[in-house]
Amino acid sequence: MLVLKNVSKSYDNSKNAVDKISLEIKKGEIIGFIGPNGAGKTTTIKMITGIISPTEGDIVINGVDISKAPIEAKKNFTYVPDHPSIFDAIKGIDYLNFIADMYEVSIKDRKERIERFTKVFQIYDALAQTINSYSHGMRQKLLLSGALLPNPNLFILDEPLVGLDPHSAKLLKDLMKEHCRNGGTIFFSSHVLEVVENLCDRVAIIHKGKLIACDTPDNIKKNKDLTLEEVFLEMTKDE
Amino acid sequence: MNKFIALTKIQIFDFLSKYTQHLNVKNKWLGKLALLLPALLIIPALQLVLSMYEIFDSVGFPELTITYMYIANVMMMFFAGIPFIISVFFYSKDLPFLTSLPLKEDTIVFSKLASVYIYLLAIGCFFFGTSVIIYGVKGGLQLYSLTAGLIALLISPLIPMILSTLLIIPFMSIIGRGKRRNLMVMAGNIILVVAIIFIQLSIAKVQIDPEAFSSILLQEDGLLMLIGRSFPPSIWLTQMIKGSLISGVLFILLNIALIYSLKLVSHLLYRNGLLAFNQEGGGFNEKGKIYYKKRSKGIQIIKRHILIIFSNPVFTLNTVMTMIIPILVFIIMLFTGEVNTGLFQSPMLAPYVVFIYTAVIATPAIVGSISATVITREGKTFWETKVLPITTADNIKYRVYSTFILSFGGSLVLAIVGAAFLPVSPIMIIVASIFCISATLFFSTIDIAINIERPILNWTNPTTAVKNNLNIMISLLIRLLTGGVLYLLYMLINNLSANVILIIFSFILVSLYGVSYYVVLNKYINKFNNIVC
Repeated sequence: MLVLKNVSKSYDNSKNAVDKISLEIKKGEIIGFIGPNGAGKTTTIKMITGIISPTEGDIVINGVDISKAPIEAKKNFTYVPDHPSIFDAIKGIDYLNFIADMYEVSIKDRKERIERFTKVFQIYDALAQTINSYSHGMRQKLLLSGALLPNPNLFILDEPLVGLDPHSAKLLKDLMKEHCRNGGTIFFSSHVLEVVENLCDRVAIIHKGKLIACDTPDNIKKNKDLTLEEVFLEMTKDE
Repeated sequence: MNKFIALTKIQIFDFLSKYTQHLNVKNKWLGKLALLLPALLIIPALQLVLSMYEIFDSVGFPELTITYMYIANVMMMFFAGIPFIISVFFYSKDLPFLTSLPLKEDTIVFSKLASVYIYLLAIGCFFFGTSVIIYGVKGGLQLYSLTAGLIALLISPLIPMILSTLLIIPFMSIIGRGKRRNLMVMAGNIILVVAIIFIQLSIAKVQIDPEAFSSILLQEDGLLMLIGRSFPPSIWLTQMIKGSLISGVLFILLNIALIYSLKLVSHLLYRNGLLAFNQEGGGFNEKGKIYYKKRSKGIQIIKRHILIIFSNPVFTLNTVMTMIIPILVFIIMLFTGEVNTGLFQSPMLAPYVVFIYTAVIATPAIVGSISATVITREGKTFWETKVLPITTADNIKYRVYSTFILSFGGSLVLAIVGAAFLPVSPIMIIVASIFCISATLFFSTIDIAINIERPILNWTNPTTAVKNNLNIMISLLIRLLTGGVLYLLYMLINNLSANVILIIFSFILVSLYGVSYYVVLNKYINKFNNIVC
């Protein structure tokens, strides 16, 4: 579903923020992407989503190279950023209709999905209000509903749990599992290692721009009686 | 460090750094040189001041250049200051942070005004500053005049800045309450500006008794008194530069008194203005219907770009004011009798009517520069359209289309009003419209290239996004250059009829549009894709 081949990004042509990352994610997998602050998680996600271009390397989404056929590639995924910065002078329902139009979701499907997701996240009643009256958490839920609306093959989330209350966080985790059961794929970054450990099929660890591990949580822990957090701290400890 | 100095330093540093950020010029010295680009606007200012100096010098009163430029400058600063004050006081993103700091209310008010002061001082340097230098140098190097003029220049932003602050903060606290506050702020400020222009022109029109008029003229500084009576501080300022210590003291005392008055009421402005405004809900929580409606991608994105302008009072005011101000001034001048419709029927004016009409309707394209900030206005939400399944070319095109719609909409209003007052024939309307469309297409397209080169997505107040940035300066310079080239061409072909000249100009602009469209949609795609957000 998602293949990264020797992907690098340099902002200043001297130091690589992301350095030759190679990664392959199969259909139906949930992959957690973890790393310390400034390790290159968001840069990698921005390259995958086409927000920025890689300095070198290829990114292939469902068999389509995003640099060669960006439209076809983008039809395969939706993205939720780490900050709910969206144009907020419109109503919640305007935003969802906007997303539905962009991904060509039929009226029947959009009605059914908007009702379903916004009711699950308990923002349905606020849809007729402008987004600038929403709280941080409500905006995050609106973004999540919008990203789930086109029923994407690949669902990319950057720190999706930030700003969500425990109830909504649980709902999101359930939705993520359900999405994968239905054949979807999820790639998400998080600092909540407990969630990553319990939710993910595989975990990718990035440190100083390099991918230092990508395996199942058990294999990363080398089947020792350690938590992912303990292993992560050990692996990313600066000498 | 003193809290006020520390806060002011941060505010000024933030304001100035916006100019240096995103210049995209790798070479350090070239970057500094690029910063001086706006200084090129001094050339038209210099020309204006020199011609004015020669006129006043010929009647023996060269110092009136200073009086005139100071009055014009105060008016300019006053109007430029209003949207900027609204932006830094009411729509600035640092306000929640500042209000949580253990600072006195007047410290916050004055530190916020520091950036307004610098902005107004920069405006002052162009016209008033130039007049001070011309006056100090042309009549033989007068060191005292130059020093006094420099002091006057440094003080000059204070009166318009303090007066607009004292007017706008209470005004905003009144109109900025309730659910439709953004709409109220927009409408209220347009009405306020119209009212100020109206009052100013009405005062200027007040006839004085012929006897009083003669006695004023008989005084030593009669002409100065006559010109300066609409704004008396201009008399003190002129006399101060001429060498009068008493006038200098009076002028400085007036400024000190205004600063002190602002200090006295700053706690009221802060509590009843700033805090009251920010305590109101930001959104318009209308209970509308939930609907499911399909629209094309193009319409959705164009609608988004237009809404970005109209959902923000600062963006709207800036757009509407730059586009419609000529018509507002004209209507008010009609009301006050400064201009009468008979003037346009004059046979002397007949050969130029089509040029005047064309200039009027092309104003939004010429002064609008909306495309030059179309990416910047999105700020941190720019990522949204980048991840959508639309081509980069479409993403750029829809931005140009939204500018075209807005700019052409403004032109349409001006075309109707212009046709009502100017004796234009249907042919003239068609020719002017062709020119207007060509100019709108060219400038909308060339401007987006500027914004792709210099996108400023991280701004703290909306004025920075639409006004105080180098993009606007570059955009205006391109217009100046284009205008210069067309003027030179006009000098070569002015034996042709006005309609033919305008059609030739339109052809040139359409050709330039074709070239710029090709360049933007081929060479700028990669640059657009590489904008870091």
